[in-house]
Amino acid sequence: MKLEIEDVSKQYRRGVLALRSFSLELKPGVLGLLGPNGAGKTTLMSILATITKASKGRVLWDGVDIARSPDALRTVLGYLPQDFGVYPNLNAVEFLEYLAAVKGLDAVSSKRRIEELLNLVNLTEARKRPLGGFSGGMKQRVGIAQALLNDPELLIVDEPTAGLDPEERVRFRNLLSELSGERIVILSTHIVSDVEATATDIALIEKGSLVAHATPEALLQLVEGKVWEWVVASTELNAAKQRFLVSSTTRRSDGVHVRVLGEEPPQGAQPVAPNLEDAYLYCLNQHRAGLAQ
Amino acid sequence: MRRYSFLLTLGFSVYLGYTVYAGQVTLRLANYSGVNNSAWLGSVIGLVGSVWLTLIGFYVVKNSIQRDRQTRVGQILATTPISKSFYTLAKTLSNFVVLAAMIFVLALAALVIQLSQRTGASINVVALVSPVLIFGLSAVAVTAALAVLFESLPVLRGGVGNILYFFLWTALIAFGAGSLDRGASLNPLHPIVDYTGIATVMGQMQSQVHGLDPAYSGGASFSVGGLKPTTKTFRWSGLIWTPALAFSRAMLFAIAAALALLAAVFFDRFDPARAGWFTAKKAKKMSGDGAGEGFPVAGFENQFVNVARPHLSAAHLAPLLRTGAHIRFFTLVRAELRLMIRGHAWWWYTVAAGLFIACLASPLDAARSGVNVAAWIWPALIWSQMGTREAQFSTGSLVFSAPRPVPQQLLATYAAGVLVAIFAGGGLGLHLLFVRDFAGLAAWAAGAMFIPALALALGVTTGTRKFFEALYTAWWYAGPLHHTPRIDFMGTTAQSSAPGIYLAAAALLLLIACTWRGVKLAHA
Repeated sequence: MKLEIEDVSKQYRRGVLALRSFSLELKPGVLGLLGPNGAGKTTLMSILATITKASKGRVLWDGVDIARSPDALRTVLGYLPQDFGVYPNLNAVEFLEYLAAVKGLDAVSSKRRIEELLNLVNLTEARKRPLGGFSGGMKQRVGIAQALLNDPELLIVDEPTAGLDPEERVRFRNLLSELSGERIVILSTHIVSDVEATATDIALIEKGSLVAHATPEALLQLVEGKVWEWVVASTELNAAKQRFLVSSTTRRSDGVHVRVLGEEPPQGAQPVAPNLEDAYLYCLNQHRAGLAQ
Repeated sequence: MRRYSFLLTLGFSVYLGYTVYAGQVTLRLANYSGVNNSAWLGSVIGLVGSVWLTLIGFYVVKNSIQRDRQTRVGQILATTPISKSFYTLAKTLSNFVVLAAMIFVLALAALVIQLSQRTGASINVVALVSPVLIFGLSAVAVTAALAVLFESLPVLRGGVGNILYFFLWTALIAFGAGSLDRGASLNPLHPIVDYTGIATVMGQMQSQVHGLDPAYSGGASFSVGGLKPTTKTFRWSGLIWTPALAFSRAMLFAIAAALALLAAVFFDRFDPARAGWFTAKKAKKMSGDGAGEGFPVAGFENQFVNVARPHLSAAHLAPLLRTGAHIRFFTLVRAELRLMIRGHAWWWYTVAAGLFIACLASPLDAARSGVNVAAWIWPALIWSQMGTREAQFSTGSLVFSAPRPVPQQLLATYAAGVLVAIFAGGGLGLHLLFVRDFAGLAAWAAGAMFIPALALALGVTTGTRKFFEALYTAWWYAGPLHHTPRIDFMGTTAQSSAPGIYLAAAALLLLIACTWRGVKLAHA
């Protein structure tokens, strides 16, 4: 089981370049695809999900070019798009039965699986209600269930926790971890904590280019000894933001605790253990500095 | 306006001009037609514009509020100080601008046509262009407002409104033409009687021909398609723009503004709570009987959930029987069929069942030429979703990432559409089978195959259900309802049926749908 993305570029009409010579090789595990808004994550997801085609380069699933033979991937693909709709007159069971039929699944075995999936995403009680009355979070859970319908070998989830409440978000993260054994999971998001909880590999993407591809540990290693925290008065916060790369700020009774990234510590700052958010900011900043030069 | 479809509509205006140039649209007064001067050409093209663009234009612009609703821009607008009346007036104005662009293109086409005809007659730009602009602009102003009014009324917002508008337009045209037959009783101060200007223009022409030929009986026609050429001509000197006529055209703008303000009364300002009882009832059904997502207890949400909700691990999911790339076609057809017929009110099924029984129980001729014609207009809104559903409900990314979206999935949709036709018109099918009328059965079968193919091809190529709803209703009215040979796709009489042609057309349309979808997905 191997997914190879070879030198993929995507140019939309009017010349917008969404992906630039993007290459990556994936094996079973959870890849967290991180990047700012408009980085090209959704374009990459759409290409991998055979919704759109690359303008240049190719994507191979077990050695088969998915642009030439999309069905080779589609039969083992589970895809949760960032934006998707539902048929409002159908209930959750009927909608999943429809998609099971579209995916070519056996009607009898898919029936049992649908019940289990609805239980898994905590929609058993609402399974007979028309989808038109579902909240955003409930629709998202139906989307998660449909992505798992065919027991996919490649699971692509684009911003999957959008609209989920904290409890459901935790459930989904756990689910993703459980699923990751013998399949490739690609989790695209800009929420670093989602990736932190589940990913075995992380790819950072910005302006259509791959910035970094490494394990979470390797990325954390990059910022080891470069994260500092110190307390400033509220009035000094703006000045601090202009001088340093600020990762986060927290207001407390003694002032604002500012977490910054840098080779040298600000005066009076203490070193702190880095997290993935620090690593993410550091890599993006390094990449931008490199581009500026 | 920043859409390819807008360019297509402008292209349609050019085509309308061409129909006049090519003699496909004719205006005649008994055996008379006009000499091809600027006044005559301008009047004919003006009528073509005001008659056809009031029909086609409605379907072009009837989505401006819906677009705000779908893109959720409406919810943002609703939070601004903009008033409902300002919004509906502004939407009417924007619709009008789109339609006015089509009228201006038509006026330009009139000029090009006369230049290209090289008849030697001098070009009178005012006589040529004024009927196009004055009749066209005032007529489409009403159309623009009607589109907003229809969009503001929940019951007319969707396909029902699309179909009803055709009959409203037909009635208005017929009423205007009827006033011509009633002779001089037409009061130009009642513009709604003649909002396309057909009675006004032809009335003045009739007066002029009367002056030339006292034997002229008063007949007049404005038609599409080849007619026998007229034997006499007259020199049409152009419209006499009386103050009353100018006032009547100006009144149409006032009527348009009144319709836009009326729309504001019904416009819900994107507030679902202010939707009519029809929508509210549906929303209540959608939201269920109060069973929510969980059972939150203030302060104890997590504890409650952990205790009460059974937790299933992904590892415990039942293994799936892998079917490989093979699509189970009949399962898919069944799923498509369920998707098509779900969500209608009980009375919809009752009427469909009633028509089925009536087809079976009525005398064969009545069933074939009457009841089945009704039975096959009844599911029009089901067929109109074919090929457009994925775009309408944004499910394309889910559906098209599944194996073999073309042709299997498209063919399954088509098969489900044919099954709907068979169920809806099944009474006649059985009736024909019982009496062993195999020629009639072939015509019936061709109709059942053709209608869904037309819906699918139009849906896939245009991406919207409006085109099928408008075209099918108009075709149904002109062909099957009037048993018109060649265009009677239902084969309502032995004389008008042509099953071979419609079976071939169905196959061709299906091929177009599959090719179009395939190419579109390949070049996404």
